[in-house]
Amino acid sequence: MRGDSFSMSIENIPDSPMVSRKKKMKIRKVFDKMTQWVTPWRSNLESPREMMILRGDVEQDEFQYASSHCLSSYYSVFVVRLAIMVMLAILIGLLTVLTWHFTRIYTKQSLKTLAYGLRYELLQRPVLRMWSVVNTTSELTTAQVKLSEYVIKKSDKPTTQEELVEMYQAMKDVTWALFASAKALNAITINYRNGFVQAFHRDPASSSTFYIFSDLKNYSINGIGPEDVSGWNNQSIHGNMSAIWYQQQLDPVTGEKLGKPLKIPPDDLINIAGISQVPDGEASWHVTVSKYMDSPLLSAALPVFDASNKSIVAVVGVTTALYSVGQLMRDLVDVHGGHIYLTSQEGYLLATSTNGPLLKNTTNGPKLMKAIDSEEWVIRAGAQWLEKTYGSKRPQEVHAENVKLGNQRYYIDSFYLNLKRLPIVSVVIIPRKFIMGKVDERAFKTLIILISASVCIFFIGCVCILILTNGVSKEMKLRAELIRQLDARRRAEASSNYKSQFLANMSHELRTPMAAVIGLLDILISDDCLSNEQYATVTQIRKCSTALLRLLNNILDLSKVESGKLVLEEAEFDLGRELEGLVDMFSVQCINHNVETVLDLSDDMPALVRGDSARLVQIFANLISNSIKFTTTGHIILRGWCENINSLHDEMSLTVDRKKPWAPMKTKLVQHRNHLQKSCKNANKMVLWFEVDDTGCGIDPSKWDSVFESFEQADPSTTRTHGGTGLGLCIVRNLVNKMGGEIKVVQKNGVGTLMRLYLILSTPETADQNIQPDFSKYGLVVLLSMYGSTARMITSKWLRKHGIATVEASDWNELTQIIRDLLEMGSRDNSFDSQNNIADSLRAELSNIEEIKNPVFVIVVDIGVLDLTTDIWKEQLNYLDRFSIKAKFAWLLKHDTSNTVKTELRRKGHVMMVNKPLYKAKMIQILEAVIKNRKRCNGLRNRGNGSDESHDCLEIDPTQFDTCSSDDSSETSGEKHIDKPVQPSTLHSPVLKNYLIDATNSNDDSRSASMTQKNPEEEDWKDRLYSGIVLDGKNLKSLEGIRILLAEDTPVLQRVATIMLEKMGATVTAVWDGQQAVDSLNYKSINAQDPTEEHKSSEEETANNSIKSQSSLRNSSPYDLILMDCQMPKMDGYEATKAIRRAEIGTELHIPIVALTAHAMSSDEAKCLEVGMDAYLTKPIDRKLMVSTILSLTKPSIFQTSLSA
Amino acid sequence: MNTTVVAQLQRQFQDYIVSLYQQGFLDNQFSELRKLQDEGTPDFVSEVVSLFFDDCSKLIDTMSRSLERPDNVDFKQVDSGVHQLKGSSSSVGARRVKNVCISFKECCHVQNREGCLRCLQQVDYEYKMLKTKLQDLFNLEQQILQAGGTIPQVDIN
Repeated sequence: MRGDSFSMSIENIPDSPMVSRKKKMKIRKVFDKMTQWVTPWRSNLESPREMMILRGDVEQDEFQYASSHCLSSYYSVFVVRLAIMVMLAILIGLLTVLTWHFTRIYTKQSLKTLAYGLRYELLQRPVLRMWSVVNTTSELTTAQVKLSEYVIKKSDKPTTQEELVEMYQAMKDVTWALFASAKALNAITINYRNGFVQAFHRDPASSSTFYIFSDLKNYSINGIGPEDVSGWNNQSIHGNMSAIWYQQQLDPVTGEKLGKPLKIPPDDLINIAGISQVPDGEASWHVTVSKYMDSPLLSAALPVFDASNKSIVAVVGVTTALYSVGQLMRDLVDVHGGHIYLTSQEGYLLATSTNGPLLKNTTNGPKLMKAIDSEEWVIRAGAQWLEKTYGSKRPQEVHAENVKLGNQRYYIDSFYLNLKRLPIVSVVIIPRKFIMGKVDERAFKTLIILISASVCIFFIGCVCILILTNGVSKEMKLRAELIRQLDARRRAEASSNYKSQFLANMSHELRTPMAAVIGLLDILISDDCLSNEQYATVTQIRKCSTALLRLLNNILDLSKVESGKLVLEEAEFDLGRELEGLVDMFSVQCINHNVETVLDLSDDMPALVRGDSARLVQIFANLISNSIKFTTTGHIILRGWCENINSLHDEMSLTVDRKKPWAPMKTKLVQHRNHLQKSCKNANKMVLWFEVDDTGCGIDPSKWDSVFESFEQADPSTTRTHGGTGLGLCIVRNLVNKMGGEIKVVQKNGVGTLMRLYLILSTPETADQNIQPDFSKYGLVVLLSMYGSTARMITSKWLRKHGIATVEASDWNELTQIIRDLLEMGSRDNSFDSQNNIADSLRAELSNIEEIKNPVFVIVVDIGVLDLTTDIWKEQLNYLDRFSIKAKFAWLLKHDTSNTVKTELRRKGHVMMVNKPLYKAKMIQILEAVIKNRKRCNGLRNRGNGSDESHDCLEIDPTQFDTCSSDDSSETSGEKHIDKPVQPSTLHSPVLKNYLIDATNSNDDSRSASMTQKNPEEEDWKDRLYSGIVLDGKNLKSLEGIRILLAEDTPVLQRVATIMLEKMGATVTAVWDGQQAVDSLNYKSINAQDPTEEHKSSEEETANNSIKSQSSLRNSSPYDLILMDCQMPKMDGYEATKAIRRAEIGTELHIPIVALTAHAMSSDEAKCLEVGMDAYLTKPIDRKLMVSTILSLTKPSIFQTSLSA
Repeated sequence: MNTTVVAQLQRQFQDYIVSLYQQGFLDNQFSELRKLQDEGTPDFVSEVVSLFFDDCSKLIDTMSRSLERPDNVDFKQVDSGVHQLKGSSSSVGARRVKNVCISFKECCHVQNREGCLRCLQQVDYEYKMLKTKLQDLFNLEQQILQAGGTIPQVDIN
């Protein structure tokens, strides 16, 4: 949906249609993806409605949704991770590159500066050396010239040979002095005008010093051409081949002649500067080569003028080897590396740093070599590069970097020294790697280190990201899960709500047909043309129907319990009776199962407690039905004992052995008690302990706690074998907890399960509830003859406790034997000891019984002891009949005991019959009946008429379980009034217990007649059950004298109810709405009623007046009870009730108000009770229920009035 | 001769009332009502029933008027009418009417006007049907009485 709106907004963007469409499509796609991405749960939010409709598809949808959701979240996480990693990679790469770059740049820069200085230095030093060499040569030459001039001037114009020789000798000495002082000189030559040559020469190879001179013989001393300038030519030296040249070795230090002068060929002569070299009389410079030297020589020539400075007398030449410059260069290069060379301006090599030759040997002797022809490759290449780059116009200084020569890079620096006569170029070639090599290498290493470091960081970062995003993705997953869960929960809650709503709505509809079924059954039961079997069946159906109705209610209640809305009632009820009814009900089921049901309540149990009887019954019904389900043989015992909360500690010490596994619960209980004591100090709280003990399959100890969870069963297979939902125990625990108790499975000796629970119930303030009849004084002897050992044991124990001698018999033989022993005591007195099969204890018991004076024997016989399969039972009965004078027989019947047996029993005069199971209350009933009978017998005997025993004929009430029917609440409210007069000790009160029934008319000749008479009687008992009051007249007039105000707007209902009530003898006043009801109450007189009812009221007036006159003491209220419809115009029942209750404030009045409503929900009931109504009846009105309710609410007051009257 | 007619009428009456029960027009409550009728109140049942039908027609009238307007139907008023009708019908034992009332009430709760109208029609139909049936029944009763017979007790099993 959002995508649509978005695309619509896009459509508004003005653009060329094609482009816009394309763009739109693209954007839309992207947006769709985004929305999918961003709101993955949106689709889910919309789906529930569909899901509800298409339940079948839900699963699949959900599954698909979940998987796609997962996938998308995985993608998102993956992409995010990738993005973060890429960003990290970029960052680290950038950092690395920048670091490397700047480091390199700065290092290079500084190195370059340094390198430049170095190169400059390297360049300068050979040049300076050269310079100094040239200077030295020049100075020496000048000095030689000056000295020569001086000598020549002194011997001006030598004329004679001696003078000339002398002069030459002087010249030789002077020159020697100079030559010896200047060690660096190679040679000094003096060429005289006349061709005479004097020269000193050092041979570096042999390190010897020579004096070279020409023969004087050939030279004229004077006049022969010395003045002839034209005669001055070089020819004179070389050309004068005729001259003989001598070479004299000298001592290099002293100048002494060593050996004889040797004649040498002129070719071997060193360079002797001639006049040609100084054509202009100025000094001249040459670079020459010599035969003896492998390096070029620097020679300077200077003319020597005569005194008049007009003519050149001689030429002085000084030669210096450039060897030392080369040496220096080599030294420098050794240190710094690279190559240095010097060239002349023309490019001839003067000196190099290498050892390579500087001269090339030609046929004409050694010649100077050009740099570009050098044998040294580097020099040649450098020179070539220079040549190529700069050509002839070479600048004074050249600094070139990164010159590629061959495979290597070089620095080339050249410097041009512009000497006037001898310009020199100096070139330095240094391989780049000599300076930068290390740097480059370092830079490379740094780069590698940086890269590896950054790769490492990158990987670590990736790992970190993975770890971090892992958490995030986990969280995302968890959140997605959470959202799903929440969604599921919401859905579940919604469906649960639907369920409870459904249940609430259905309750009425469900209960209505059930009520119809029950009603029809009631009709059927009251029908007189039923056979006994049919009657029994129908009764059973009636029971089952009520149970079903109850189940329905329970199901409805479950939702309440689950949602915690259950509110427990607080009403008084007879705990014992509820449990007895329960046991009776289940015993029917149990006998079919061959399981014994035993109720074992201790005597200290309070008869009346306050609480929710329905829930209590529900608890035990669930527990017992559960036990029955799993018990195939044996027994189920419901034990109950009580413990006053105030005497808890004493109890604890007393019952420590019994409650050992119960210790934690006990402490809890103590805490709870403390809490309770604080909260309600004067409330008479009781802790009631119960145990449900069965001999079933038992529960595994590991499941002891979990069986109380909902839908939990101890063994999953139980659902198959036994059915059930596993909800029962859950409800039980909820209810028990709600009643302030706890339930647990307890360790048990032997097979089966033992559930123990305690409840905290308050008891009414009325004391003396536990009045137990004192039977001991009557001298009763009870013979229990029952099959079930457990029940027998428990009963006998109880009887003995109450001082009643008890003998037990388990089968027929034992029974007869004991009977004989007991009753034929007189005749068989001495045979006691011969009874071998009587146990010692029994014998002791019997001997005890003997001591009782005038004993009353009560023989309780289980009908099962008789052999009913054949006709033997009749014989057995006859046998027993013999003792009927001495003892009273009470029969325990099964629910399915056939009518013939009953009839036979009745015929024989056995009138005390109770249904199994036998429990305390029934036992009491039997005993009371016996005592009463005995008294009467005594009385009758006095009167001499003992035949009329029939009043004590007893039978079983078939509708005893009505207490558990659907409308528990209204009945319990009724029951609290029932139970008050029910006290076992009040034997002569007109109250009848339900267990036994007077069947006076059992003249069994015509069974149908007895049935017809029985039915109204039963009807009567039912009413008595409800009311607890024996009525003298017919039940139709059960409401005699009760004045009822009926507020009902529906004319039909009003009429029906009126008639119904009037039929039963009540005086009815009907009004149409709540307002009228309130008004008619406020008027003291009935006369001021609604005019529509006038005709009726006039009738009633008379009736009422009579009642009034009877009981003028009765309260001022004109009515005993109000039946109030809830929904009425003007003022509804709730409002009216509130108004009435308001009006009653301050007075002692409390008029009972019974609600009439078509709503069947218990919430409506709660509402009714909340506003102050006393009871609650649902429409359509059930007559019996209405009667019982009305009676329960009105009778006490009538009693009071009758008492006071 | 008279006795045979009476017996025939009585059987007819019995059959008729059983059929009414079986077809679901009546339920147990009606028998209860009949039980209440005795010498003191000889016309009790017919009185109550006629009260019921009067009530019915009145209520249906009111409800149809309430439901006439297509919008802003006062469902509360309708509901109270239905409630009343339900109460009286269940008291009389008019089972079908009561059953329709139950669904009618549901419709009211969910404020479904269409459903309400449908239910109203149904109620109208059912009560008129019952009216004619009961009319027949009472006529039969009258005939029996005129023939000098007694109304037989009919138990519905």
